[in-house]
Amino acid sequence: MASLERANSAPRPRVLVALVPVLCGLTCVFIANIPVSILGGLVPSPLLALVPVYFWCLVRPDLMTPAVALTIGFAEDVMSGGPPGVWTLSLVLTYALVARRRDSFAGLSGLVAVLGFAAAAAFACAMAWAIVAALAFITPGLHLPPLAPILGELAMTVLFYAPTALVVGWLHHKLVGASRGDI
Amino acid sequence: MANVWKIARKSNAQLPLVIVIALAIVLVLLGKAQSGLLDRARVHITDMMAPVLQTVRAPVAGFDRWMGSVTEIFSVYQQNLKLKEENARLRQWRNVAIVLQGRVGRYQTLLHAVPDPQMNAVLARVIGRANRPFLQTMILDAGREHHALPGQAVVDARGMIGRIYLTGSRTSWVILLTDLNSRIPVTIAASSGNSGNIQAMMTGDNSAYPTIDMVSHTVTLHDGDQVTSSGDGGLLPSGLPIGTVAGDGRGGWRVALLADPGASQDVEILNFSKPPETPPATAQLPVEAAGLKPQALQPPPLPAPVVATPTPPKTVPKPISKPETAATDAPAADVDR
Repeated sequence: MASLERANSAPRPRVLVALVPVLCGLTCVFIANIPVSILGGLVPSPLLALVPVYFWCLVRPDLMTPAVALTIGFAEDVMSGGPPGVWTLSLVLTYALVARRRDSFAGLSGLVAVLGFAAAAAFACAMAWAIVAALAFITPGLHLPPLAPILGELAMTVLFYAPTALVVGWLHHKLVGASRGDI
Repeated sequence: MANVWKIARKSNAQLPLVIVIALAIVLVLLGKAQSGLLDRARVHITDMMAPVLQTVRAPVAGFDRWMGSVTEIFSVYQQNLKLKEENARLRQWRNVAIVLQGRVGRYQTLLHAVPDPQMNAVLARVIGRANRPFLQTMILDAGREHHALPGQAVVDARGMIGRIYLTGSRTSWVILLTDLNSRIPVTIAASSGNSGNIQAMMTGDNSAYPTIDMVSHTVTLHDGDQVTSSGDGGLLPSGLPIGTVAGDGRGGWRVALLADPGASQDVEILNFSKPPETPPATAQLPVEAAGLKPQALQPPPLPAPVVATPTPPKTVPKPISKPETAATDAPAADVDR
């Protein structure tokens, strides 16, 4: 039974509400993959697309469905230029982990919440590295990918989590409204 | 804000999740089978973003320079001394290069050497860089409209940076030599000059120093050996400077690249199409160029019938003498060091 209403707010169009997570995810993909590198490419760009997937998977899993996670991951693959399907599968598997452990992740707060996201991000990066390593293993002549770049991406993703989550939370309050979906 | 983290207790999305995971796995396998699956979408997006990238390029480059100057300002004096010393050394090498250039020119004239294939170059500007865990690339503002094609080498003033692997109408993606998927056949010239050239394969692994996979395991390398493109396969021109050999401390060898992809702003795309090499005509054989008379080297005429004519006189070949130019134009000082 749906029991979430926001007093003092008019009901929002259902389509618009459903589009907010996917549009937010695609925007994060676009921003993170703008090919402008500060500091001469020393710092890798963060995996911003994981933030809306993680956020709405906990807050409104009815809006962040597996299909939406797949769409965001596919966009990440198109924009990032890497091997096709790597980030798609990685984000979907991370979505599955977070959805399965939703109670544990959603109960975190403060700095521990950041650590919870860091665990999810570490899982996503580990999955991506494992997929690329598997592809390299079956391709003659290719080396295993080094760990340093993916660890750098993980660090940047965790570093950018707090500001990105603030923006995503603000968008959620302004455009989605309800904070929980009871089914 | 606290109730933001309240969640739904149940989700009926388990079945789609399985299907979605299967779709993602299929996408990975499809991408492996057809590597160019998403390429068209990528170049379309890049083409659309090109004006924006060109606009933001200047401030970003300025910020990069400013950040670099913050750290370098403390070492200006040391760098100045180092540059003066390097400048003096380079002046000596410049004189050596001039002498050698003249010598090579004379040898080419003597041998009627087949000239190197002509290369047209397209000047392009770096409008974007992407440093992702599994892809190191840069985006140039030249595409098919400027006759840039996949496979062409990209160089800056110092050496080779990479090669083009995707071209849109107005932009191109460059796979850097350091990228995980980069494999370049190279020639390693020993710096000591004692041994000949060594053929090897340079493979990127997303680190700053690509690895060297030796074709032959019997040869030994040394720090400082010169690495250039070998041109094997005909995709890249031979002799493009790439870097120098450096040991990795674990018995392996890597390449310290001459070019710095992170700092390059203007690059050249080499339009290399190897023409078929035609053998020189008979009249242009090196022996003629060396001053020998063609008649002297022609096979002796067949003996005439014994009955009809007397025995022909024996043809005595003239002694081979060095051409005067080769003897007199040799540089007085030996410039090989």
